[in-house]
Amino acid sequence: MRLIGPVLLALAAGLYLGFGSDPLGALLFRLDPGLLNLLQAVTQRYLLPMLWDDVLLPVLEAPAWIAPAVLGGVLTLLGWMRARG
Amino acid sequence: MHILKSRPWNLPESSATPEALVFGRRQAMALGAGMLAAGPALAQQAGLPPAMRNTRYAPGRAITAEREVTTYNNFYEFGSHKTISAAAQRMPLRPWTVKVEGMVEAPREYGIEDLLSRMPLEERVYRLRCVEAWAMVVPWTGFPLSALLAEVKPLSSARYVVFQTATLPSVMPGLRQSWYPWPYTEGCTIAEAGNELSFMVVGAYGKLLLPQNGGPLRFHQPWKYGFKAGKSLVTIRLTDQRPVSFWEKIQAQEYGFWANVNPAVPHPRWSQAQERMLGTGESVPTQLFNGYGEFVADLYTGLQRERLWA
Repeated sequence: MRLIGPVLLALAAGLYLGFGSDPLGALLFRLDPGLLNLLQAVTQRYLLPMLWDDVLLPVLEAPAWIAPAVLGGVLTLLGWMRARG
Repeated sequence: MHILKSRPWNLPESSATPEALVFGRRQAMALGAGMLAAGPALAQQAGLPPAMRNTRYAPGRAITAEREVTTYNNFYEFGSHKTISAAAQRMPLRPWTVKVEGMVEAPREYGIEDLLSRMPLEERVYRLRCVEAWAMVVPWTGFPLSALLAEVKPLSSARYVVFQTATLPSVMPGLRQSWYPWPYTEGCTIAEAGNELSFMVVGAYGKLLLPQNGGPLRFHQPWKYGFKAGKSLVTIRLTDQRPVSFWEKIQAQEYGFWANVNPAVPHPRWSQAQERMLGTGESVPTQLFNGYGEFVADLYTGLQRERLWA
């Protein structure tokens, strides 16, 4: 946790510097145009349609750096608290 | 001595329904029964002019139950799952206009009611084969695309027809995926468009076309996989440039321009040899050109170098 958190924060910084406010979805689409379609089909057809619309899509619509920044921040904080306690 | 004893089910005189309301209800029920007995009259009531069935295109299979066709749908603007019908009800189908433009002598914009009254409506029972290996048989109401093209008079330089679906972000959650190449675009050659099977659909099962089925206006070429049929169309453009369709831009190796049905050419991830009939679940062999080869095979003479089947 101590290592993954800062790595994700560094990734977030890199994404911000490289792609600004481009949505995560747009970035993944550029990397592999068929990836999100497959992910959406699996999520909506075999799990739950709302899971895509209400949970995953908002993450994909947000700037690419936000997801690793939030996750990295939480993990870094947890690691710090654990080290102190 | 006569004693009046009130029973629990007794009601006071004041609770009786007024006579006018009772007889009004009976009249309404009688009218409803009459409409059910007269199919064409019901269709007219629903806004779809009566249309005779064209028996030239007998599908050779039983018609799929209406409920299946209206509740199992692909319409990517509303999602990737099959139960988009509820969400699609939010799409307003009136007023609705469609532009026919590009390389034509007389570009026009039609209101949907105008199309319904001007075009030679008929019913055709067509097979529909989805690229996902399921199939259905639907009594569509509509008119030949050639009738529409005759009105706008394509220029001799026009080689392709491009169909564009409406983009309504307020009701189509799929459009939130801004990385996709919206609007949904499909196309065919001018020769394919002029084929007698190419059909503009405005109704199904004797009723106006529902939003989940691509209402109020969709396209259908029954010898091609279903994704080639643009739904809820707002623009039809004639051009000399071969269009790159929506799915072709995303996954060209899986969804090409021609996409003619061929059981011998598998999709990259599954076989196309069989198809599952919607409703019955029966698995039946898929036919070349979805069984419409006698009408369309000639269109592809000399095109063997093209990727005709996917």
